[in-house]
Amino acid sequence: MKKTLEKEAVLRAYKRKQLLITLLPALALAILFGVLCALVSSKGYRLDIYLKKILNEGVVLAVVATGAIFIYSLGSFDISLGASTLFSATLGVMAYNATESFPIMILVIFGVAIGCSLLSSVLASVFHIPVFVTTVAMMSVLTAVASQIISVNGGALGGISIPSKLVRPLDTIEFKLLMLFGYAALCIFVFNFTKIGRRLKFLGGNANCAKLSGIRADRYAIVAFVMAGIGVGLGAFLTLVYTPSVTPTTAGGIGMNVIVAIVFGGMPISGGPRSRIYSALMGGFSYILLNNILKMLISGNAGYGISQIVSAVFFLAVVYITGMNYRTKLLAR
Amino acid sequence: MEGQMKNNLGKRIVGTLAIPVIVAVVLLSLCALGGRSMINTALGFNNFVSYTAIVMITTIALSINLNSGRFDFSLGAIMTLSSVIGAKVSYAALAGGEGSAVLMFAVTVLSGIVLGLISGVIYVFLGIPPIITSLGVTLIYEGITFTITQGRYLMTEVQNDSMRACRNTWIYSALLIVAVLAFIIYVFDRTRFGCNYRALKEGQKVAVDTGIREVPNAIACYTVCGGLMGVVGFLYAVRTTNIDTSALNFGSIGIMFTAFLPMFIGGYISRFSNEKLGFFLAALCMSMLNSTFAVFSNEIKASTQSIINAVLLVLFLIYLSNEYRIKAFFRPIRK
Repeated sequence: MKKTLEKEAVLRAYKRKQLLITLLPALALAILFGVLCALVSSKGYRLDIYLKKILNEGVVLAVVATGAIFIYSLGSFDISLGASTLFSATLGVMAYNATESFPIMILVIFGVAIGCSLLSSVLASVFHIPVFVTTVAMMSVLTAVASQIISVNGGALGGISIPSKLVRPLDTIEFKLLMLFGYAALCIFVFNFTKIGRRLKFLGGNANCAKLSGIRADRYAIVAFVMAGIGVGLGAFLTLVYTPSVTPTTAGGIGMNVIVAIVFGGMPISGGPRSRIYSALMGGFSYILLNNILKMLISGNAGYGISQIVSAVFFLAVVYITGMNYRTKLLAR
Repeated sequence: MEGQMKNNLGKRIVGTLAIPVIVAVVLLSLCALGGRSMINTALGFNNFVSYTAIVMITTIALSINLNSGRFDFSLGAIMTLSSVIGAKVSYAALAGGEGSAVLMFAVTVLSGIVLGLISGVIYVFLGIPPIITSLGVTLIYEGITFTITQGRYLMTEVQNDSMRACRNTWIYSALLIVAVLAFIIYVFDRTRFGCNYRALKEGQKVAVDTGIREVPNAIACYTVCGGLMGVVGFLYAVRTTNIDTSALNFGSIGIMFTAFLPMFIGGYISRFSNEKLGFFLAALCMSMLNSTFAVFSNEIKASTQSIINAVLLVLFLIYLSNEYRIKAFFRPIRK
């Protein structure tokens, strides 16, 4: 009897710890938001302007990262997402300038984004190339082609653009939040309430076991990449809504920031059953909030470097704490 | 028996040299068709040898950890930070005078070793996947570099007679290739550390269960990689006569992508000979390609070069990953 009670107490303590670790990313986001608000008011800045800036920066990262969760849940990762965003936006602008049709521009953006993702997944699953290497090659090709298109068509301006009046009516907080939460709801539904999500997590957790259970890994990899492609398309569209011009550096940092955001949001990079869609939302906005707070605190040119150091240390600390329960005797690989 | 041995040796020699010879023939033919030569000046040859050294050493550094399942994004950041420290210290000590290059080389390599060691210790201490550790370490090292230099190019520190003397000859790059190859082959193929490294690479759990100490081995790997990237940092500074320190937010990771194709080519060549020799031959191929691009720089833009490199990488991997199918496809025809 006594032993059973002790076991229950240990189990309760373990569950409490688990809950705390699960809630940590949300807690970090809330704390960072509080710190930002306090800083803005102490410096006498306008909070609404800062919030709009953070939303504009965070929404693209969060949307792309949300789609990327499908790939990361498989234990794979894709660093070409930033390049895909740039490429989709570039071809979208080119399509609009050629046809002056807004629907065609949107179709091109999403078609190209999904097409790029499909190409990566087909190369990986049909030709059995490691996913990461495929995405490295895709990143080089897409960035190079987009840069060439922009340099040929952009002329002295160094960028290509669509008329700002075209997207100005959409450049509102309401529209962006609608897009973000609409896409997040779709992803949550697919990931948590359909067999696609369950099987992706199964494949990420134990690929051999999943394959022996009859799950077609290549088929689900393609589904994962298509979902990520939709996120990239939406990210490219929202980038154009915010800034209706595209340069070779547009969305440059997204590929790597997506990894940071997902890990920051408490999801393990190895994927599997602990994959969560909300990790991307929490992590994306936390990372953007942290960077803005540090920029406010540390001014000057060297401030960029110092704020990046602080941001990295904070990132490692959060990952260390959230991963504390999953240490093994062997070094992680 | 003797005939079989000769046959095996012949097969190994052919297998080892096939790719470099094919690449050389194709690229030299292309240059000849365009009425140009791949290398036509002394500086061109210096650049050829220097690029070979840079690609070979980066490939070795990348492969050491990647072969063990440890993905390290921080190689580029270590390269830049170590060369910045080397340049600043040597300039502070000698103000660009005689011996500046030697001092810069020594300090850069030493800094690389220390930065690699720190990177390894962070990985072991945190116990989180190396890819995540390397993301954090990359951001930290980029941030430190940017803070030291304010993001400005370093030119005064690396533009002096001593550095120019290094740039004007291929001898130092060639010596570094030989020294690095000898060191790496000795350490990884001829020592107990190397045996432990290979055991851990092939079967981490079994190796640890049999008593191999994984932590010191992993830290040593990171330290060696750091030192190698210090050498690359010095070579880059000599070659470009400046150090670009503006990279922030993972801007430094580009260097490692240049090493992917040679790493896979080197892996293929290692079926017939030593893996490190394979990396050298692969770097030679990449250098020939780079020199050909330089020859046709008016016709082939930098972006087109990136596309060609990426397509070559994908095609080579498609071949490697489907070799048995391709061979099976051609088998009935042979009959």
